[in-house]
Amino acid sequence: MDRFINFMNAAVLAGTPLLLGTLGEILTEKSGNLNLGVEGMMFMGAISGLAGAWFAEQWFGWTGVPAALIALLISFLAGAFGALIYAFLTVTLRANQNVTGLTLAIFGTGFGNFFGELLGKRAGGFVTVTSATKQAFAKLDLGPLSQIPVLGRLLFSYNWLVYLAVIIAIMMHLFLRKTRRGLNLRAVGESPATADAGGINVNVYKYLATVVGGGICGIGGMYMTMVTTSGVWVHNTILGYGWLAVALVIFATWSPARALYCGLIFGGLMMLRLYLPIPGVPQQIYDMLPYVATIVVLIVMSIRQSKEYAQPKSSGLNYFREER
Amino acid sequence: MKKILSIVLCLVLLLSLMATTVFATEAEETEVELLPNQLAEGEPTGMDPVALEDIKIGFVHISDPSDQGYTYNHDLGTQHMAETLGLSEDQIVNKFNVPESAEAATAMRELAEDGCHIIFSTSFGFEDYAIEVAAEYPEIEFCHATGYQASSTDLPNIHNYFGAIYQARYLSGIAAGLKTETNLLGYVTAMPFPECISGFNAFYLGAKSVNPDVEMLVMYTMSWNDPTKEAQVAQALIDQGCDVLGQHCDSTAPATTAQANGVWHVGYNSDMIDAAPEASLTSAVWDWSQYLIYAVEHRVAGTAIALDWSKGLAEGVCDISALNEAIIADGTVEAIEEARERILSGEWDVFTGPLLDNEGNVVVEEGVTFVEPASAPSFGHILEGITVIE
Repeated sequence: MDRFINFMNAAVLAGTPLLLGTLGEILTEKSGNLNLGVEGMMFMGAISGLAGAWFAEQWFGWTGVPAALIALLISFLAGAFGALIYAFLTVTLRANQNVTGLTLAIFGTGFGNFFGELLGKRAGGFVTVTSATKQAFAKLDLGPLSQIPVLGRLLFSYNWLVYLAVIIAIMMHLFLRKTRRGLNLRAVGESPATADAGGINVNVYKYLATVVGGGICGIGGMYMTMVTTSGVWVHNTILGYGWLAVALVIFATWSPARALYCGLIFGGLMMLRLYLPIPGVPQQIYDMLPYVATIVVLIVMSIRQSKEYAQPKSSGLNYFREER
Repeated sequence: MKKILSIVLCLVLLLSLMATTVFATEAEETEVELLPNQLAEGEPTGMDPVALEDIKIGFVHISDPSDQGYTYNHDLGTQHMAETLGLSEDQIVNKFNVPESAEAATAMRELAEDGCHIIFSTSFGFEDYAIEVAAEYPEIEFCHATGYQASSTDLPNIHNYFGAIYQARYLSGIAAGLKTETNLLGYVTAMPFPECISGFNAFYLGAKSVNPDVEMLVMYTMSWNDPTKEAQVAQALIDQGCDVLGQHCDSTAPATTAQANGVWHVGYNSDMIDAAPEASLTSAVWDWSQYLIYAVEHRVAGTAIALDWSKGLAEGVCDISALNEAIIADGTVEAIEEARERILSGEWDVFTGPLLDNEGNVVVEEGVTFVEPASAPSFGHILEGITVIE
């Protein structure tokens, strides 16, 4: 039992940055923009969040919670900025979405590592936040809730970003399923021409969904620097997580509610070796499990041909009103 | 039919991935005997001597000082060397965050074209590339840390350096053995290589020398520097009941994870008390500046650097960092001093028999002391009491 709880805790912590990246990408793809630059936006959020917290400490002397909130805000803005470049290129200039997304991934990686090292030089060797700020990203003590046997440790023993990610997922689910605007957004993603004819401003929806989605990816990146590496910039800290998040979008079949448990499964698959080692099975086999799972889901989906759980139809295609 | 086809497809994919998986192979030791082109230490190399104020020194590192561990500490050695020799900043060129791939060769070529007279590559996986580039630039000295191939490569300008870090690990293990309450140590290590295995054996023997009941779990991260994985592995070990962690990986992630869980930690490479003041007991540390000064002085004079350089506790190349007085167990200082005297006396060393491996085979007979034949550690038996979780 103890081992199971520990495993679940580790899976949740490993799955949360993936979940955030996935949620951002789901929102983006719902508008018909296939932004492959998740990795880049996560990198941008990662370094900007850390830099935001660090400068808040250096310039204003804010440590702990205020610095953590600054990190949240700046990382969101940085991710959104990356997505804005993407949206401008693909929506306004109608550049190829795949190429633009890949470019953004490469750009963001360089952006993160460049400013990470620059900041390290500036800080004299390496950049790290104060322990008060690190403490703001440690697991929460929710008083009596955390004391409940089993459930307390299973549900109420995480840092606040985990709960934020869950709230974002639930809100996104409600938004897409229960609101008029959510329906409009889905219409834009499925068939922008129809939505346009129905009086929906396609470009506004595309811009907003992409930019907000990018911001959420940025928060996912910030999670990596502030929680996983506890407030230290590590070269290539995101490496691969953004691509895993893109795979997870497919695994979650473009549904934010499903992303919740799919993120947990991915996190669990990443942690499996450490908690359930099978003698003789090398680590590399474990490392590829999330990808194998994605391929299996793709195959299953192509067999089932479900209309409901599929990629938005116009995803990857630019919309140009005059082009019929 | 479609279903069967898809299952077959999945299986084929899985198998092909398995087939390409790289398995690490252990290094074979070779006898040190000069090959035709190799030079004995101190012989003239035929390279033009350079003035100290003109010499240019290149470094290739796997990460950057943000790891607060291996690269950070090696860079401290560089700075100390520069101070001691009075070098200016522009005489030193650092290449940070170079992966152990063909990029390493590119980085070394760039340093060579940049006019470096001597190039240090500091990560295990750089060795093949260092040899490749050394053959192209016979007028440049190449020094590689943690490697083992210089003595078998017939080139006069490639050298290995490392040291008897196991002696320092033994001392640091004493602090862990006295501190543990669950009698279960955890050890986060990088790769199943003799360098790592020798290290955790020494750490464990140190702990066992003061606490006969102690046992140890070991887990690999399969990467020299991956803070995310190091933190996850550390957490997994703590979750299995380990209350003192040792480490052989580059970052401070195991230290901060130990602190977050209220357990203790013994570091590697650098003093980690700043990173985890309530967890870090001490660290096994290197002083690389000794070798750097030695090698640079030889390049300046145009004389040959030793093919394989290894120093230990006696010369101060390896030692433990200051003990964290606030949290070490009673008697730690005395026990470590006693062991230090024993090693310094030269009559005893860490791998003195009888030693059994964890399958019950005698690997070092009673009364025999295993002595490392070269700078790169080769003691690859996993000793009794240690469980490796693959």
